[in-house]
Amino acid sequence: MARARDSLTPDDLRKIANLQMFARLVVEGFCTGLHASPHKGFSVEFREHRGYVAGDEIRRLDWKVYGKTDRLYIREYEEETNLRATLLVDASGSMSYAGKSGLTKAAYAQRVAACLSYLMLKQQDSVGLVTFDSKVRKYVPPRSRPSHLQILMNTLEETKPGGETELAKVFHQLVAKIHRRGLLIILSDCFGEVSELMSALAHFRHARHDIIIFQIWDRDELDFPFHQWTRFDSLESVADHRLVDPIRLRSTYMENLENFRAALKQGCHRHRIDLVPLVTDEPYAVALAHYLARRMKTA
Amino acid sequence: MMFLNAILVAGVTALSIPLIIHLLHRSRYRVVRWGAMHLLAFRERHQKRRLEIQHLLLLLIRCAIPALIALCMARPVMTGVRSLLGAAKTSTVIALDNSDSMNVGNTFTQAREFAQKIVDRLPRGSEAAVVLMGGRPAPLLDQPTFDTSRVSYELSRQQAGFGAANVPVSLDLAAGILKKMHEAHREMIVISDFQRTSWSNTNAPAMPPAATFVHLGREEKNNVSVESLDLSRSLIGVGQKLQVRAHLRNHGDAVYRDLRVYFRVDGVERAASQISLGASEAGQVLFTHAFDAPGSHVIAVTVDVADALNSDNTFLASVPVEDCLPVLLVDGAPSNEPLRGATDFLEIALAPSPASLVATRTSNQADNVASNRVVVLANVAQLSDEHVRSLTEFVRRGGGLLIFPGNRINTVWWNSRGKALLPVPFTALSDDPTSISVQHFEHPALELFNDPRNGDLSAAGIQHWFKFAEAPTNTFVLARLATGDPFLVEKRLGDGSIICASVPADAEWSNLPTRPFYLPLMQQLVTYLASKATPPRNVEIGQSLVAVVPDDKPVELTDPAGERHRLKPESRLVRYDDTRRPGLYTLDTPIHFVVNTARSESDLEQLTPPQIESFAKTFGANVVTSWDEYRQLDQRRRYGREFWRPLLWLVIALIFVELWLEQKLGRSRAK
Repeated sequence: MARARDSLTPDDLRKIANLQMFARLVVEGFCTGLHASPHKGFSVEFREHRGYVAGDEIRRLDWKVYGKTDRLYIREYEEETNLRATLLVDASGSMSYAGKSGLTKAAYAQRVAACLSYLMLKQQDSVGLVTFDSKVRKYVPPRSRPSHLQILMNTLEETKPGGETELAKVFHQLVAKIHRRGLLIILSDCFGEVSELMSALAHFRHARHDIIIFQIWDRDELDFPFHQWTRFDSLESVADHRLVDPIRLRSTYMENLENFRAALKQGCHRHRIDLVPLVTDEPYAVALAHYLARRMKTA
Repeated sequence: MMFLNAILVAGVTALSIPLIIHLLHRSRYRVVRWGAMHLLAFRERHQKRRLEIQHLLLLLIRCAIPALIALCMARPVMTGVRSLLGAAKTSTVIALDNSDSMNVGNTFTQAREFAQKIVDRLPRGSEAAVVLMGGRPAPLLDQPTFDTSRVSYELSRQQAGFGAANVPVSLDLAAGILKKMHEAHREMIVISDFQRTSWSNTNAPAMPPAATFVHLGREEKNNVSVESLDLSRSLIGVGQKLQVRAHLRNHGDAVYRDLRVYFRVDGVERAASQISLGASEAGQVLFTHAFDAPGSHVIAVTVDVADALNSDNTFLASVPVEDCLPVLLVDGAPSNEPLRGATDFLEIALAPSPASLVATRTSNQADNVASNRVVVLANVAQLSDEHVRSLTEFVRRGGGLLIFPGNRINTVWWNSRGKALLPVPFTALSDDPTSISVQHFEHPALELFNDPRNGDLSAAGIQHWFKFAEAPTNTFVLARLATGDPFLVEKRLGDGSIICASVPADAEWSNLPTRPFYLPLMQQLVTYLASKATPPRNVEIGQSLVAVVPDDKPVELTDPAGERHRLKPESRLVRYDDTRRPGLYTLDTPIHFVVNTARSESDLEQLTPPQIESFAKTFGANVVTSWDEYRQLDQRRRYGREFWRPLLWLVIALIFVELWLEQKLGRSRAK
């Protein structure tokens, strides 16, 4: 795992335009160092026998029982326990910020989403995708077919950041769409009112979804490395801009940042949501490692 | 408020420098498209407000510092309403001390230049007057003038050495002049060395609100002076010995050994002596001299010492040497027998030898009195009215009249028609034997007898004598009898004097003529009365110089400064009044006058600065010791107080506040 992190930096991988290729490269590279998959052979599991009724599929008859008892029984299996994961990718304007690296948060989020999709589908989990800003832009229901990967990748590639963030509203809408419980992987900077966001996430939790939030940060947002007078133009609203002396503002900014992160962390902890901060200059493997750790816990 | 360096006020624009820097920084901003806008917001409004206020304060301080520095350099002056009067015309009186003590060092030069600067700086159209404080205080110009350049020119010609400063009179004079001046803004400036002897016991006149004492010169203590000269005779003839006793005093703490003292007559050194003077010690030196020619002579005693004040090292005296002193003896009871006449003893006493100064002429009548210096009436019963008139005129013009009673006098006539000549009316003849009361004699004619070696007046026995009525106020009792009645009574009449005795000059009623003191007593009385006929040659500052000249042709007088003055005699009498400067005045005839000054100036001790301060407080005046101090004071009075110093402190304080605020904000930035 450590080797993968070291070898695959976002800067290197940025050059790979094809998301599928990229995801494959990342995931393969990531998995090279792993032990044998603990998920091998868990596709079907016997639950009970029941008597044959007309209309049942002939192929589901248990011929061995028929040979022993001369009666027709149908084998019934537990439902497939494969993970149903839905990737919620934030495509709001704030995600289009790119620091020195030139990699936008949105691009980073898409790549993480691509990697996770690839990984999950490879594990035969179902993967769905939602892109959103102030409303749901695209909804791809979860599927576990390998061919589903292409749909996901295409959807991700088509997604361009823009528009305002309204996480809480979007999440409340999604609760109705995602009926079956599963894993929700949110890739967003989570900018917005924390209490409202928490309320929406609680809604998900109420629907018994597990949630991982990969909070995407740019290094500039964490360090605020500005010195000269700067006019900050909002990425989400044209009218919103602020001319400030960053030197004198920095202390307040850092304080606000700490408070924001603390509130978010506290809220997530309360609702048993995994909050994983990701910085766009960090390797993608960090996200994969977090996901796998969580997956193992779930299994 | 006004500025002394107004052009530097433009430096206040420097306050814009921090603003410009601020705006430049603000205008050269970069644009960042940013997502986390909600993190840019201040969490709490009051915190934002506080930060904004702090930064605004910092900006204001940074703007204020260069502006205040520029203001400091522009030297602002707090004025209020005074600025309206600042350049207003003023009435200024300068009391300038030109006394002897101002000659110490270059004190007077400083004082004169100080006064000139004041006059030169007066606002255009101001009125100025100067009062010279030395000797007899007088204004420099007759009237206050608007022509300040003329005042300045006249000041430049002034010198010190005008005797002792007469502070009370000077200040009164200055205050009087100031009162008559025209401008509303009035100022009196007293420039002096504040010599203790001059300034002690000075009462404050009504001083104007803006009064200034300018104290110049350092105190010098080492000074030796010739304080006075005592002459043994008031009248001296050719060949007669004159004893000159010079009194010297050491005013300082230094000890002087073997000081050379020179005696000069008419500028020629005649004798020299030595004297040692300890600290604050006085001493005497005696010189004897006989003049070999009649006329006016000047004697000078000079002590050769290097001290602070030179002008008091020499003391001058004018000595008129008489060739002959004509005295008319009018004998009212002549006798053919020797020593029986009323004037016989007198004749011998006044002219004991042919070489005597006094030349007596005896007559029965008081005729041709004008050619005499003294007339003696001895036992004269009465006079004709014409004689009374001529004698009265004779005395009025400076002659001396000596009256002795006797058995022949008509007291009724004397008390009535002769009362113009008689100092005190006779009342009665007393037969009580008595003698002359010996006491300390104040009168110059009898001062000789204060020394017992010159004779004991009480040794005489008197059998009969005339009582006088109560002495009127214009008479002076020279000596009294043991009974308390007057023995000699003097009355001044015009420029002359009349002395009347209560006892005859002969030996009829007393044994006076047989006593040893008779001769010096008569000599003293006659020479005293004769000296009245000659106007004094040694006068105090301010007294007029008067001389009798042969005719009414104009004469010229040379004053101590060497200036010549043309004088026109009236009835052979010439008079010169402007004797403010001490020293030798010489009439061409020649007659010498010496104007002396009080030697109190020789004590150079000054008031101490605290004493001057407290003194000034009673006068309501300010004290300054230099031109700069005066200029500041004047500036403050006219325009208000300069306050660049507190501004400078404010700048320094602001620099510290700026540093502190900057660090405080820096710390909050680093958090």
